[in-house]
Amino acid sequence: MDSLITVISRKRFRTGWTAFIILFFLFFVILPTVYILSYALTDWGSIEKFVLNDPAMLDLIIDSIIASFEIAGIVTVIDILVGLPMAWMMVRKEFRGKALLDTLIDMPLAVPTAALGFSSAIFFAVTPESLAAPSFALNAVSSPFLLIVLLHVVFSYPYMVRSLSAILVQIDQTYETAGRTLGASALSAARTITLPLFRAGLVTGIILCFARSLSETGGTMIALATMANPGSFATGPTLIGDWKDNLEINPDLAAPLAFVSILLILLSLVLLVVIKLVIMKVHLPMGRIWPRPERLFSRGWFPKTKDGLAVFFLVVFVLIPSFFIFTYVVSVEPSSFDWGPFAESLMFSFLVAGVVTVIDIALGVPLALYIAKNRTGKLPEVLDVLVNVPLIVPTAALGYSLGVFWTGQNLIPTYDVLLIILAHVAFTYPLVVRNVAGAVEEVDPAYEETARTLGAKPVQAFRRVLYPMIKSSILAGAIMAFTRSLGETGATQAVVASAQTAPVYIVKLIKQTVPDYYTAGLACIVLIMVSFAFMLALRYITNRRSR
Amino acid sequence: MPDVKLEGLRKSYGDIKAADGLDLEVKDGEYLCVLGPTGAGKTTLLRMISGLLAPDEGKILFDGKECTDLEVEERKAALLSQTYALFPQLTVEENIMFGLDIRGADEKIKEQVLISMLDLVRLSGRSDAYPRELSGGMQQRTALARALASGADLLLLDEPLRALDARLRISLRTELRSLVKTLKMTAIHVTHDQDEALVMADRVAVIREGRILQIGTPKEVWDRPATPFVANFVGQSNFFTGEVLQSSPYTLIRTPEGTVLKGRPSELRPGSTAVLGVKIGNTDISKERKGYLKAKVERIIFEGRNLHVDLMTDNGQRLSSKVPSWRKGKIAPGDLVDIYWEESKGTVFPMPPNGLENELKVE
Amino acid sequence: MVEVRLVGLGKRYGPVTAVDKVDLTVADGEYVTILGPSGCGKTTLIRMIAGIIEPSEGKVYIDGNDMTGVPVEDRDIGYVFQNIALFPHLTVQDNVSYGPRAKDLPPEDQSRISRRFLEMVKLLDKMGMLPDELCGGEQQKVSLARALSSGSKLLLLDEPLSALDSRVRVDLRYELRRLAKELGLTTIHVTHDQEEAQSVSDRIVLMRAGTVVETGTPEELYTRPKKIFTANFIGETNLLEGWVLEIKDGISVIELRNGGRVKVNQTDHPVGDAVVISVRPEFVFPADEGMRAKVTAITYMGTYWRITANTEDEEEVDFDSATLDENLLTIEKEVYLAVNPKAAVLYPRPEDGVQEAIKLE
Repeated sequence: MDSLITVISRKRFRTGWTAFIILFFLFFVILPTVYILSYALTDWGSIEKFVLNDPAMLDLIIDSIIASFEIAGIVTVIDILVGLPMAWMMVRKEFRGKALLDTLIDMPLAVPTAALGFSSAIFFAVTPESLAAPSFALNAVSSPFLLIVLLHVVFSYPYMVRSLSAILVQIDQTYETAGRTLGASALSAARTITLPLFRAGLVTGIILCFARSLSETGGTMIALATMANPGSFATGPTLIGDWKDNLEINPDLAAPLAFVSILLILLSLVLLVVIKLVIMKVHLPMGRIWPRPERLFSRGWFPKTKDGLAVFFLVVFVLIPSFFIFTYVVSVEPSSFDWGPFAESLMFSFLVAGVVTVIDIALGVPLALYIAKNRTGKLPEVLDVLVNVPLIVPTAALGYSLGVFWTGQNLIPTYDVLLIILAHVAFTYPLVVRNVAGAVEEVDPAYEETARTLGAKPVQAFRRVLYPMIKSSILAGAIMAFTRSLGETGATQAVVASAQTAPVYIVKLIKQTVPDYYTAGLACIVLIMVSFAFMLALRYITNRRSR
Repeated sequence: MPDVKLEGLRKSYGDIKAADGLDLEVKDGEYLCVLGPTGAGKTTLLRMISGLLAPDEGKILFDGKECTDLEVEERKAALLSQTYALFPQLTVEENIMFGLDIRGADEKIKEQVLISMLDLVRLSGRSDAYPRELSGGMQQRTALARALASGADLLLLDEPLRALDARLRISLRTELRSLVKTLKMTAIHVTHDQDEALVMADRVAVIREGRILQIGTPKEVWDRPATPFVANFVGQSNFFTGEVLQSSPYTLIRTPEGTVLKGRPSELRPGSTAVLGVKIGNTDISKERKGYLKAKVERIIFEGRNLHVDLMTDNGQRLSSKVPSWRKGKIAPGDLVDIYWEESKGTVFPMPPNGLENELKVE
Repeated sequence: MVEVRLVGLGKRYGPVTAVDKVDLTVADGEYVTILGPSGCGKTTLIRMIAGIIEPSEGKVYIDGNDMTGVPVEDRDIGYVFQNIALFPHLTVQDNVSYGPRAKDLPPEDQSRISRRFLEMVKLLDKMGMLPDELCGGEQQKVSLARALSSGSKLLLLDEPLSALDSRVRVDLRYELRRLAKELGLTTIHVTHDQEEAQSVSDRIVLMRAGTVVETGTPEELYTRPKKIFTANFIGETNLLEGWVLEIKDGISVIELRNGGRVKVNQTDHPVGDAVVISVRPEFVFPADEGMRAKVTAITYMGTYWRITANTEDEEEVDFDSATLDENLLTIEKEVYLAVNPKAAVLYPRPEDGVQEAIKLE
């Protein structure tokens, strides 16, 4: 044991290990994610032939990409408008039922988007007779665009509230109090002092929300399949999903697939850089203070109404659509079904998610440590930016890119399971890295330094001092990676067309010629239950940590 | 048992020189205080000695052996940081035993050390407590015991009293020093508090902008400051500028107003511009005795053993004086008093190249 | 005219009482310091005055008006925070003009007022800088200018100097008092530093465990403290246990536990009573008779020497000497120590012992 510690404490070993981790990250995560961009250079001819010279195809692609970005934009704006008051309330106010509300906000996170898509569509959309939606469903939305906007709000809202409150908590409330001692009302102080300090938080929230909406595949497909008359409406990721399915029959789709993926990857990266620059640079006209009206709005009925509306929105536009599936399954006429295939797909999903999580932790924690502890260096800074790329790139494009990368090289055997695992690692790995790196940065380096001056080798200092402090963050990262992998549709479909994970199975149940709504509903509920169990575990762990 | 020697240590962060050629020798068993304002490079110095920071240039020697590149854990130099960095997940006992645990010490030895350490820092009853359950003073003592028990020979203290209340800080000064002395350790203690340095140190090194300005016993640093900055940083001084008339057997300078003032002998050239500094505690006032110059008493503040007297001279210079409290009632605001000092208490410096005001900046 | 009156003001957090029914009146133009160790409730108290914390009981009157239910922004106060809390995204001038801006004064007035107060703290030349670019002392001066710019006559200072270097702290404390007095402000200043409290205050309110121990001028609390805790907390002191041996001609003779006998000009404790003497180091001196003690440490304090001696029963006695005659005072040397009878104060011996009575944490 001692000699092992001595060996791995050597500088040469530490350098080698760090190099290995960085290479893994670059070669197995980043490169496959954006590999498809090279297609534009090597196969420009096919893109010209099958896309640019085919007006119908080009229109379809442009329309769907525009729809994707429009939806993401609208969803983000709605999320900010309704998420900010909620985040404010959760961070700055004490009231009865706060813990309950906190749990309620997180609940949609536990529902895989495939299930969420089905559930929301039943609630909001005009559905076909054969579905037999309950009579108290809203049954009102007939525009596919609007339905997808509503759906995306449902699942991205919790992300927005979470990321806004995470930053809001860090802004010292003394600033606002100082403003108030100088005579500014609560609203004036919040507007002129806290909000300008809050920009970084807004950027994070916006990017996260935008990227999640842009990336969403499974739920969107199901929602479109569930509603009556979706027409030919498609988003970027659903196009990839559909075409990948047909790629074997129609190899000409390779070029359009690559083209859509390239566009999604490029546009998402460019747009997010633009968002960041615009928000950080733009000068908000916040100079003047209007004492009377702002004072009026700081007290009495106005704040109460605002908080009331925030809660109302949460219940009606987020919670009810998320869990409407339960009422559907209860109210609908049961039919016979075959559990076998679903059980198999669920097992398969668990297998994938389990392996993915183990890889993420084993290779993600070291990278997180490296980034968090070497903040001043150039390389860690670059890595820190790169880590975000797989989070921003739509997973369907990521999956397709990764599939092309690995099947094009003969470096590793291209079993379906292996490809799916690699794809899932690519987009869950950053979750673990970011989560753990954040936790490490919060720990005062003095702990490890003191341990070393007391005679501990670097490895011992990590194991005895730092590790116990970040253990719960590692676990939280693991659970996050696991549930994300369990719920993923887009990447899975895009990397291997015939994949049979649980969410993909549900999508297929609904998209087949004679949809099996009842089985799909039951499968959704099982999936929700399983994810919910993990969610509860996560909350239990993080709550214990904050105590 | 080590003596510590630093030779020409340099460390820069961009344009900022945190260490600008530091030479320092700390004797075996000595208690050295490194005194300076925030940003003077005190912490950088400590981190370089501990090995947590590699110097750009220069050498560090323990007991005559070079150890500039030695790993932190092999230096036997325990760091006591400002925040104590007690491991929150470990009890007092586990914290204290950390160093011995790591080295895999014998259980019997561990038990003996633990008992003696707990006894030494008066925490025998609290060995099962977690750091968050302890008061600030107890946390400080636990951190000290942990450093002592690790088998280190050299103790590096980074503002160890800063986080404590003012009154407690005063009580713990002597206690901390005598603990270190009892165990015959060498200690390097970094602080910005000149009272703390005077009371605790065998020798004081005054540091500013990465350079050591003066090193000496508290008495030397107080009585014979090397620069106007030292004179003002350690115990506040009144300053006068003027032309040097003579430099021995005592120095005479003439102010622009024509007042002639006396100070210790110096090596200044007659005719050059000089600065005379006198500690406010050595600046005496009197209504009977004739002094160097006259001033009006502006206000008198009762500060316990002393009165703090603010004065204004005819030409508008503000001066201060500290006199024993029993003289309260003998002086009042508005009084015209004579100002004088013993010539041995006046130190004369050449005019600093950047001007007196820049020289005296304490931040 | 700003007078602050606290009536039975208290704050409880569940079972913990942070402040226990404090009554206090601060007169117009008075500079009052609330002094006490960590956790004594002083910060809670000042925050209740400002309206940042709601009291659990009692009332705050500012200028005779009941402040219950009046929010912070309507109390018309200037407040300086321990962590300085300058708005990091605003320049120095914009920070200082925030108060006038919050009242929506015309831009000319905002600029005029901010310049006036920045000039007062001598930082007009740093007007365009961001707070990050200033050093600690300058930041706190800006924060003071910001608090003053609201035009309030009530200044609340919450450990304003704690975050600063000790040397900077010393300079700034005299500055604080000068400004407060020049502007005729009523000032309430919270601190744990007894030296700071002595330097700035007209009156000190000493707190411990949520209650007021003693109130008085710095001089009263230093020379005739009514409680042992005060004697020890404000300035350094020797606390010696003994009993009253005899009383004669207005002088009590105390026989100390350490065997020595000392005389004290205080006769309100009858013969035979157990007492504690508090005597400051500057009022203890070597003499021909008194307590026998052995010198253990000699420390140079700049203008005097602090000598520590141990009596026969290992009690430590500190005394000061202006000069050091090396023939009379060296380590290990035996001395007899006497006290100045006018400067010693007697207390009944506390039931739980002296240590408990002076405990700081």
